Amino acid sequence: MELKLLTTRHLFFTGKGGVGKTSLSCATALALAESGKQVLVVSTDPASNLDEVLEVSLGSTPTAVPSVDGLYALNIDPEAAAREYRERTVAPYRGVLPPAAIQSMEEQFSGACTVEIAAFDQFSALLGDPERTREFDHVIFDTAPTGHTLRLLSLPSAWNDFIGSSANGASCLGPLAGLEQQRALYAATVAKLADAAQTTVVLVARAETAALREAERTAGELAALNIRNQVLAINGVFRASEPGDRVADAMTERMRAALAAMPAALTRLPRFETAFVPGGLTGISALRDFCTPNGARAERTVPVGLPPDLDRLDRLVAALEAAGRGVIMTMGKGGVGKTTVACAIAAALAHRGHRVLLSTTDPAAHVVATIGAPVSGLSVARIDPAAEVEQYRREVLASAGASLDAQGRALLEEDLRSPCTEEIAVFRAFAKTVDVGKDGFVVLDTAPTGHTILLLDAAEAYHREVMRVQGDMPVAVRELLPRLRDPAFTRVIITTLPEATPVHEAERLQADLRRAQIAPYAWVVNQSLLASGTRDPLLAERGKHEFPYIRRVADELAERCVLVPWLPEPPVGVNGLAVLTERAA
Amino acid sequence: MKRFEIYEPAMCCSTGVCGVDVDPVLAQFAADLQWLAEQGVEVLRYNLSQQPQAFAANPAVVKEMEAGIERLPVVTVDGQVVSTGVYPSRDQLRQRLEHGAAAGQRVVAIPVVEAGGCKPGSGCC
Repeated sequence: MELKLLTTRHLFFTGKGGVGKTSLSCATALALAESGKQVLVVSTDPASNLDEVLEVSLGSTPTAVPSVDGLYALNIDPEAAAREYRERTVAPYRGVLPPAAIQSMEEQFSGACTVEIAAFDQFSALLGDPERTREFDHVIFDTAPTGHTLRLLSLPSAWNDFIGSSANGASCLGPLAGLEQQRALYAATVAKLADAAQTTVVLVARAETAALREAERTAGELAALNIRNQVLAINGVFRASEPGDRVADAMTERMRAALAAMPAALTRLPRFETAFVPGGLTGISALRDFCTPNGARAERTVPVGLPPDLDRLDRLVAALEAAGRGVIMTMGKGGVGKTTVACAIAAALAHRGHRVLLSTTDPAAHVVATIGAPVSGLSVARIDPAAEVEQYRREVLASAGASLDAQGRALLEEDLRSPCTEEIAVFRAFAKTVDVGKDGFVVLDTAPTGHTILLLDAAEAYHREVMRVQGDMPVAVRELLPRLRDPAFTRVIITTLPEATPVHEAERLQADLRRAQIAPYAWVVNQSLLASGTRDPLLAERGKHEFPYIRRVADELAERCVLVPWLPEPPVGVNGLAVLTERAA
Repeated sequence: MKRFEIYEPAMCCSTGVCGVDVDPVLAQFAADLQWLAEQGVEVLRYNLSQQPQAFAANPAVVKEMEAGIERLPVVTVDGQVVSTGVYPSRDQLRQRLEHGAAAGQRVVAIPVVEAGGCKPGSGCC
C-alpha cells in the first residue's frame, strides 16, 4: 500500500461498486494498524460486507478485529439507524395517542428521507464529534456505491445552506427538524471534509474506461464541494506475464489503453496502483498477502471445464420475447455489467422486430455510450434525477404556486428544496416508463444495489402515500407496484460477477426483492474468465476461483442462470452487443 | 392576545409538497397563517410526526383523534376547538379573529365518501 499518500487522519474510499473500495480500505487499515497505529474502519453502505472481509461480526460501535492489534471496525446501517430513530420518536406516544395516530406517525418515518437523514446523522456524529473517535489515529470510511457516496458527502453543505437560508424556520426538513440543534455538529463535518490537513478522499477505480470516467465525475463533484485533497487508486491492474493468450493479451491491452486515455482531471491527481490478485480479498491473511505481495503465485493451471447445464443469453432473449411485451429490469451492483446486459437484451429484442424502450436511472447513464449507433425500433431514455426535479418544481410552481401570494410562493419554493422532492420526482418518471411496457418492451437498467433497494422501498412508501392522498394521481403511478410485482409483466434479471462479494450482494438483493414480493426471473453471471477459454496462469487461476460462485448461483439462487464469458472484444456498440446474444456462452 | 393552535396530520412539511401531489390549500393556508400572525395573534402549528407532545398534552385534541384520525387538522382558538377535518379559509380565520371562538358554527369538513362508505364512529355521519 502507498501509505505515504494516505497520511491524513480521515480517509474516504469512494468509487463505483465492485472496484474494491472495501478491499483497499481494509488493506490500508491493516497496513496502518500493523505500522503501530490505532485504526477504525467504518462502512456506511447499506449492503456492507465489512464483516465478511474482516472475518468479524460488527455492530454500530467499534469492534476490535481479532488477530490485528489496533484495528477496529463498525458498520453504519442506515436502515437500522432509521428504525431506531423512528422508535425513539414514536415510542413515548404509544398508549397516549390513538393507534391510528401512531400508525400515521410511523408511516412518515418510513420513507427514504428518514433513512438518509439517519445515516447522515450517524456519519456526522463520528466525523464531527472528536470525542467519539478520540482514541484512533485514523478513521477510514469504506463508503457506499458512488451515487450514494456522493449524496452522503454532498449532504452536509446542501443542508448547511438549506438550514442557513431558511427564512421561516426550515419547514420542510421533516424528520430532520428535531436535529436542527445539531447544526454545529454538521458544520464541523462539512469543515472536516474540506480540510486537506485532516481528510483525504481516495477515488478507487479499475483500469477500465467506464470506471475512470466515473472517477473523473466524482473528482469534479467533490471539488465543487470544495473537497480537493484527492488521491487516485487504480485497483487490480493486470499485465500478462508472457504474450500469446488471446484473453490475457486483450485484457492487458484494454487496461493499458484505458490508463493511457485517462481523463485529464485524473492525471493531475497523486496516484497509486495495486496488482491483480487471482483470489478474492476476503479475510485477514488474504489482505496481508495483498499488502506485501511475494510475487510467487503464478503457476500453470489446467483449465477446468465449464458447468454444462447453464443457459445462454440468446435463449434468455427468446424466452423474454415470447411474452410480446412487458418490463425487463436488470439489477445488480454497479460495475457488474447490468448496463451491458440491459443494452444487449434491448438491442436483440429490437433486432427481432419489437418496439423497445431502453431507460436508465443509473446516475452514470452509460447506456447511450454503450449502444453507440441507432438501432431500428429501439429508443433510449434516461431518467435524470436533476432534470426530473427541475420539471417537478416547475409543474408544482405553475399549478399550486399560481394561486399563491408572494409569501405563500416563497414558502412553497422553500419546501421544494427538500431532499424528498428528488425521490418524488424520480418516481414519477419511473412510473411513466414502466407504463410504456403495456404496449411494447421496456428495458430498465437500474441503479446500483443499495440505491435500488432504497428506491423500491420508496416506491412502496410512495404507493401507500398514493392510497392516502386524495387528488388526481396518474393511472401509471397508481399501478406501479402491482405491475412491478406481476411476474407476467415485469421480469427482473439479476446481474452479477462470479466473485464472492458480487454474488453475496446479489443474493441480498434477491432476498430484498422477494420481501417486496418481486420474484427474479433469471440471473446473468457476467464476465466469466472460466468461460473465456483463457490459459494465462493468473487469469485461469481466477477462473478456477469462479467455479463455486457459479455453482452457487446455478444450484441454489437462480431459477434460470445464464453465463456470459469475458470477451476479448469489449461488448460495446451494436456489433459488440450482438456478440453477447448471438454467440454460445 | 388571541392564540390560534393548529394540530395537523403527520406530514413531512407544511406545504404538503412532500406528498405525491401538492395540495394548494396547504400552501395557501401557510400564507393565511402568516397573515394571521401579522394581525398580532399568536399562531402555533403542530405536526403529528414532529410535535406529538403537543397533541398528547391536549385532551380535547386526543378526543377528536380517537373519534377518527381524519378529524385532523384540528384548529383551536384560546384552547377551544373551532374546526376539525379542514383547513379554514382566510375569511373563516378572520371571522374567528374578530369574534372569538364563540362566534358562529364550528367548521367541519364535508365528509369524503370512500369506497367502503362511512365507518361507524368515524364522525362522518
